[in-house]
Amino acid sequence: MARAVPADPHDGEAVAKRIENRWALTMVGLVALLVAMVIFTGLHWATMPPSRVETINPSTLHVSGEFVESNLGSAVETDGSVTVRIVGQQYSFTPQCIVVPSRTPVTFRVTSADVIHGMLITGTNINSMVSPGYISTFKTRFEKPGDHLMPCHEFCGTGHEGMWANVKVVEPDAFARLVGPTRRASCDL
Amino acid sequence: MIYNKRLILAHFWLAFALFGVAILLGEWQMFIRSPLHGWLRNADLYYRSVTAHGTVMGYVFPTLVAMGFGYFISEAALGQPLVGRRWAWAGYYMIIIGSVAAVVPVAMGLDSVLYTFYPPMIGNAFYYIGVVLVVVGSWVWVALMGINLYVWKRAHPGAPVPLAMFANVAGAYLWGWTAVGAALELLFQILPVALGFATTINAGLSRVLFSWTLHAIVYFWLMPAYIAFYTIVPRAIGGRLYSDSMARISFALFLVFAMPIGIHHLFADPEVGAGFKVVHSIFTAMVAVPTLLTVFTICASVEIAARLRGGKGLFGWVKALPWANPQMLALALSFVMLGFGGAGGLINMSYQLDSTIHNTQWVTGHFHLIFGGAIVIMYFALAYDLWPHLTGRALLNLRLVHWQLWLWFIGMIVLTFPWHYAGLLGMPRRMAFYDYTAPGMFAEGVSVVMSTIGGAILVVSAALFLTVLIRNHSAARVDPEPFTFSRAVHEPVSLPWALNGLGLWLGLMIALTITNYGYPIVQLMMTPEGRVPPVFVGGKP
Amino acid sequence: MSGPLLRNRWFVGSVGGTFLLLVFSVFVGFVWLPSAQDDSLFKGLLNSICSAAGVPRSWLGEASAPVTSPVKVSEVVMTPTTLDEPSSGGGVGRGATLALRCTMCHGLRGVSTSQTPTLAGQYASSLYKELRDFQSGARASAVMAPLVAELHDQDLRDLSAYYASLPRQQSPATQDLQSAPDIVATGAPMRNIPPCGSCHGRLTAKLGVPWLDPQPRDYLKTQLEAFAHGTRRNDTSAQMRNIARNMTTEEIDASVDYYSGTR
Repeated sequence: MARAVPADPHDGEAVAKRIENRWALTMVGLVALLVAMVIFTGLHWATMPPSRVETINPSTLHVSGEFVESNLGSAVETDGSVTVRIVGQQYSFTPQCIVVPSRTPVTFRVTSADVIHGMLITGTNINSMVSPGYISTFKTRFEKPGDHLMPCHEFCGTGHEGMWANVKVVEPDAFARLVGPTRRASCDL
Repeated sequence: MIYNKRLILAHFWLAFALFGVAILLGEWQMFIRSPLHGWLRNADLYYRSVTAHGTVMGYVFPTLVAMGFGYFISEAALGQPLVGRRWAWAGYYMIIIGSVAAVVPVAMGLDSVLYTFYPPMIGNAFYYIGVVLVVVGSWVWVALMGINLYVWKRAHPGAPVPLAMFANVAGAYLWGWTAVGAALELLFQILPVALGFATTINAGLSRVLFSWTLHAIVYFWLMPAYIAFYTIVPRAIGGRLYSDSMARISFALFLVFAMPIGIHHLFADPEVGAGFKVVHSIFTAMVAVPTLLTVFTICASVEIAARLRGGKGLFGWVKALPWANPQMLALALSFVMLGFGGAGGLINMSYQLDSTIHNTQWVTGHFHLIFGGAIVIMYFALAYDLWPHLTGRALLNLRLVHWQLWLWFIGMIVLTFPWHYAGLLGMPRRMAFYDYTAPGMFAEGVSVVMSTIGGAILVVSAALFLTVLIRNHSAARVDPEPFTFSRAVHEPVSLPWALNGLGLWLGLMIALTITNYGYPIVQLMMTPEGRVPPVFVGGKP
Repeated sequence: MSGPLLRNRWFVGSVGGTFLLLVFSVFVGFVWLPSAQDDSLFKGLLNSICSAAGVPRSWLGEASAPVTSPVKVSEVVMTPTTLDEPSSGGGVGRGATLALRCTMCHGLRGVSTSQTPTLAGQYASSLYKELRDFQSGARASAVMAPLVAELHDQDLRDLSAYYASLPRQQSPATQDLQSAPDIVATGAPMRNIPPCGSCHGRLTAKLGVPWLDPQPRDYLKTQLEAFAHGTRRNDTSAQMRNIARNMTTEEIDASVDYYSGTR
């Protein structure tokens, strides 16, 4: 640490500079360590910031394409994985209740029909913005069955406070029973 | 010698008066959405209040403080009357007009879009025009700071630029450049739609432009506080600044690294590629460096003061510090809050951890702790230090000042710690009310009540602050000694060009803006599919 | 400035250091981290760089084809400019003539005296959307369907413009949110019921959504129940069914009482 103002200013200045540089290097090292941790977890768990940029016309979601109402919710794919499609709009997510199987790869495809929304699933690290004009695609896996809340987390207008959805994670066999002939499922009443 | 006391006082008083009003709105919001109050029957009132609170606290208040303090520094550090005094007043009135134009439609419920705008929601155009006027008014200040330094340098060729002015101009240029993002968003995206010239808006592009402003604005807020750390506190507590050149390097690094990191606000956004998010994440880590350097230099400067006062031992010197001095107290409290807030910031910066707390109450807790806590407490401290020089009257009531600073610290901790916790529980932001009876939401209710109490303590502290300043205006006249800034242990005799001017650092700032923002902006501009219809708020069907 | 720029240690140090940092972070973000991803669009250097840069691409991969609805759903695309298109010699006057066929049920000047909705002063966007849905069958009505079947799109626009231009009658009861039933003023957030006024006027209005005050009580109740039971489904992406299905019978009664002014 620093000393009291030394007698010989030139000598003191050199000493001060040395200490200072040592601190600066230590701090740069500390920051480098943090970055290294981010990179390590990025490689080890294959985590990337969630963005796979893709555009879509928000005005015609309900008319054609994968976000028509009858195609929303959880879709069972041929490889056994599940694709969950959600539309956010003032002031609800459709489907309002999302059901997914546990221990199964799940891909979310979420978009907005009007303004910026956001979604998070409590008790998980699922967290995404939902923007008009873009599809948010992200992959996850739920380990344990259970109920979660899914609030809209970005201000989307007066009424935002009422925009809450639910996520139910169920055992894979229970999920299989919910899936109808169209291979789509949701827990909307 | 301070020549334009009225100009400087006008800026500070307007800043603090607006702050006094906006803090009441903040506490009202905290209370109204807590379990202590039933659900608001007109939810829009809450969103109006958030819009007004954010606009004042985020744009108007810190800008006016930086401007007032900037004019003060220019005169006190350069020892020359402000060049462009009329322009300075013009900028001031522009900010007043802009604030009124912005706040009136907000109060009428025509602009419940929050201070972060959120296109494609579009409100009444007057709000956006008002914000633009505030920004343009502040650009007058940016230009004047550059001009005043230039005039001084011409008159003093080769002389070292005083540290306070070096940092002040760095802050001005940072603001001048970072405000460009929001200005572009307002002028080329939002206003054309709000005024009826365009029928679609690129929401993704707007968000990227806003992020250009949104992070570096924090460092603009922070500049006056850091200038006070370096150039006021050491002098006020009877010490010396440990290192003049390290101080300059810190400010230069802020200039370089504050700007090209804003996309970390968009970690969860679908319109920006993952690669740019990683780049911004790594650069965000770098912006911690100048703060870590500052912590060292200031602690060392404080230690010098303690040892000059007879402090001994490895840590024993801490006892010898002038704890009765408001500057010392404010600095210590600010550092504690900076430490906690900075730790939270490192979490936000790491995108893996961010996904747990992104857009939750954690984030609101974080920026209240950093800005409202660590930075604003230094605004108070610098006002206490400057006031006698501006009014020529004694600042009495040191006891009151102590209470005020301590209450601000305690209030901020009680406000923000539970706030962070609520975010960890997954509590979303910016909702007018919550159903705390729902399963799993009771704990969130408890933290909101605690935060409400913290907010009430802050209101008391703010009232004390205004009281101290108001009472000063009728206190006994004094003839304060000429204002001085801290002297460094080793005063610079001549400085390398890189530390005596900002050219190199400005060049890097602009270059990094181009590398880190250029492609995302151009790419989004060339994506017509990104243009979406606006959603008008405020009753237009 | 001392000496040529490239020999100056400040210049070389700061610019060089920043450049190295940039190169490193670009490598991490565009090449290294994407290599750990299993998406096919992150495979290969060029692919990985394009994807990480944010070039819009199609990320769906192999997925089952979209399931289409067995019943007719609304196909009306509403944007703020939908009704802006120049009306060829039409407009309010032409709409008034066309509206002669509507007066039997909806009143001479659009104010209903029976259980049909009042149209006078209704938002044009809402009128137009509903007319289109009656025409396509997305909103089923034995009465309305034949009446709109032969009309052209311009006719629907003119009718909407005409009724929107008539003066709206407001009941004083609905002006005061303090006295509104809880379900109207605050909704019930955990059941995803926002305040009614956040779309239906009073707080703010949503495009294509009608105001409700005052409408006949029976009409409101029938429609709300139809949404709740899923028998009416022309609300785009289920935005109203999401709300109605979570309302209790008492809440449905309280809200229709409030909006019909029959409390």
